[in-house]
Amino acid sequence: MTKLRLVIKFNITISQFVRASASLVGRPSSAYGLGVLSSSRLFQGLGVVRQAGGVRGRRGKRGVFATLATRPEAAEGTDGAASNVLLEVKGLTAVVADSGKEILRGVDLVIRVGEVHAIMGKNGSGKSTLSKVLVGHPDYEVTGGTAMFKGENLFEKVPEERSHAGLFLSFQSPIEVPGVSNMDFLRMACNARRTALGLPELGPLEFYGFLSPKLAALNMDPSFLDRNVNEGFSGGEKKRNEILQLAVLEADLAILDEIDSGLDVDALRDVASAVNGLRRPGNALLMITHYQRLLDYIKPTYVHIMEAGQIIKTGDTSLASQLEAGGYKAIRDLAG
Amino acid sequence: MTLLPLHSVSLNSVHGLFGAVSPIPGVTASFTESASLRDQADASLSLISSPGPDLFLLDLAEKLEDSLAIDRPTSQGTQALARLREQAAEKALSSHWPTNRDEAYRFTDVRFIKELNVIPAPLPQMDVDPFVDISGQNLGEVEALRLVFIDGVISESLSSLDGLPDMSFIGSIQSILEGKVGSAVSQSLELLGMVASGTHDDTFMSLNGIGAPDVGVVFVPEGVHLEKPVHIIYYSSGRQGFQGVDENLSSVSLSSPRLLVVAGKDAQLEIIEEFLGESGSACWTNCVCEISLSQGAQVMHSYVQEQERNSIHIKQTHVSQGGASTYKLVEASVGGRLSRHNLQIMQLGPDTHTEFSTFQLAGKRQLQDLHSRLVLSYPRGVSRQLHKCIVTDSTGHAVFDGNVRVNRYAQQTDAGQLSRSLLLAPRATVNVKPNLQIIADDVKCSHGAAISDLEEEQLFYFRARGIDAETARSALVFSFGAEVLQRLSYESLRKRVEALVKGSLAAEGLIDSSIPVGL
Repeated sequence: MTKLRLVIKFNITISQFVRASASLVGRPSSAYGLGVLSSSRLFQGLGVVRQAGGVRGRRGKRGVFATLATRPEAAEGTDGAASNVLLEVKGLTAVVADSGKEILRGVDLVIRVGEVHAIMGKNGSGKSTLSKVLVGHPDYEVTGGTAMFKGENLFEKVPEERSHAGLFLSFQSPIEVPGVSNMDFLRMACNARRTALGLPELGPLEFYGFLSPKLAALNMDPSFLDRNVNEGFSGGEKKRNEILQLAVLEADLAILDEIDSGLDVDALRDVASAVNGLRRPGNALLMITHYQRLLDYIKPTYVHIMEAGQIIKTGDTSLASQLEAGGYKAIRDLAG
Repeated sequence: MTLLPLHSVSLNSVHGLFGAVSPIPGVTASFTESASLRDQADASLSLISSPGPDLFLLDLAEKLEDSLAIDRPTSQGTQALARLREQAAEKALSSHWPTNRDEAYRFTDVRFIKELNVIPAPLPQMDVDPFVDISGQNLGEVEALRLVFIDGVISESLSSLDGLPDMSFIGSIQSILEGKVGSAVSQSLELLGMVASGTHDDTFMSLNGIGAPDVGVVFVPEGVHLEKPVHIIYYSSGRQGFQGVDENLSSVSLSSPRLLVVAGKDAQLEIIEEFLGESGSACWTNCVCEISLSQGAQVMHSYVQEQERNSIHIKQTHVSQGGASTYKLVEASVGGRLSRHNLQIMQLGPDTHTEFSTFQLAGKRQLQDLHSRLVLSYPRGVSRQLHKCIVTDSTGHAVFDGNVRVNRYAQQTDAGQLSRSLLLAPRATVNVKPNLQIIADDVKCSHGAAISDLEEEQLFYFRARGIDAETARSALVFSFGAEVLQRLSYESLRKRVEALVKGSLAAEGLIDSSIPVGL
């Protein structure tokens, strides 16, 4: 352990570091449990996401791994070092509720306050599924693993409770709700959260006062509020509307599922600057994207590569550049 | 509050009823011409040969004739009315009371009316009826021209027609005298009964022709834009009708209001038809509305049916659209135990634009029926139809038959139809029959029909934003209808109708009336 700490002082890149962790995880079986425990504790202290890379091809052992790893760390949640953990996902597996098809095969992810994470990966790698599972979409069923949000089990909460707790998902293609005006929808959402927090509800006028600066910050016309939720919105308007909802709900962890898709350069810049404007020391972001251009606007602390339902590699922004240059194959080769 | 889940049994029964069409939830199909549709067209036109005069019908026709004080027609207007009665009587002789063997009444049972004691509503004796209060029926701040029918007769004292532009005319047909009005108005009288002629003859149409004591005429000449909307209130007093202990001993008071709207070349106007009834009364309103649009005319039309829950409401709306004209209809049908609307739109020239959005709410012991028919015979017509209905009770029933016919020369037609039904109780029934008959070969037509519970994806969207499932359901049930109600043009009218719908849904425990949606 001491040796590893020393190595870090020499400023090695995170990807190299993660590779070191992978080798650590891959120890002979006698030391397996201990090795995992110590490495994950170490990474947590250093603010690095623990990798599941070493577990690949050892799916039979993952159960043991998850159980061993969870308990001591949950206990750690009370001490100072880990209290800034916002979301901690471990060994998460999930299937499509209808068909039983497995999409997530053991996802591990830790997000702390103030961090920005980006998940990249091919279509069908499970990125969107991960985000939907976290907010409780009924199309998916969690079959294993845990997800703790602010120290509470996310999977024990219904979707609206997850929202009240401060989790937000910006949908990739938000559904249209004809017959409900944006204003009514936003106010219902805002008041539902206020009620859950024990705050008094806002009347129509008070709410408008609360909303106006947020609209202005997003460069949105107030006429937007009279339109029905997402009905006839352009791609850019839908994304902007999602961000407006995020601003209203003041979420602590926002998952942005492809907010860059279908946006032209100007709209992307607008949306990205709105997102940056919402960043506070106490909140965090998880972005799902295909392209580096979004990461040029919103700088991630960590970049994760997802493949076949697992995070196969974690690094800094350089990983996104490597991806841009060499495609997913290069990353896979790197991940070994 | 309990929200009942959609009952799969009732859905299956709906599927079973329609082998040919597929009202599969969520399925929207688009297709172009297919030759076999022509056969289907002929099949749906099936006329049932009458075995002989229908005694109940004849008896009713006679009662209606007797109820009217028919003087010798003196004015131009009364002459036109006499002609109408004559033609209608002729047609009534050869028609019969509809049964479920008639395609148009396959799912709508009107036989029960034969068991009732139908009494034509007596003509109002005084012009001012002290019992009629329509003060709540206004358009708020919006100034409107108002035409009020009491039991089918125009009440001049309740109507207000100040500020009508020169050469335009709104009022009773009986006041149309030679020399007193422009020749254009006189000419428009020839359209009475003609807008609807040559099409499917409906028994109730003939009955209206025989029994109409008056005709409201709205005439806007060439090039005139009527700035104020024309608000037409039909009030049924239900006098003479009463609710018996035994349903069979009940009497219904029958009124037969009739309206003729004529928009000259490039004229523009807006009409709002509102149907009301004396509370607790037993009435049958059998209305016919004819609308003729000349070349380039624009007519906006709102139609709100909020009659008493035990009343019978049967309405025919016949529209003929000249070239490049625009007709838009928004309908909300909420009241009545039986509510039937036959809507027919004929295209008489190219480049027409037609939009109709309809909403029906069928609660306890209510039947809501819309039969719409759009006939396109000229090129480049555009039409958009949206039909939505909610059935909230196991004894509720909704029927929709939406026909769009694109004839041989109607090339480059762009016709869209969408029907969505929401069933909120076990055994709630809806019969939908969207049908497109396309003969032209260069057209864009789409139709979709869905019968379902609420959309899961929408429900989840609400919950993901922190809104609990129950509130989300309330909001979504209400908004399902609000999609149509929102299209009503005046805020106060829209709010009034939305409150009515919200109240009905809340009364049946389907929504929480405090949801901050709409209003």
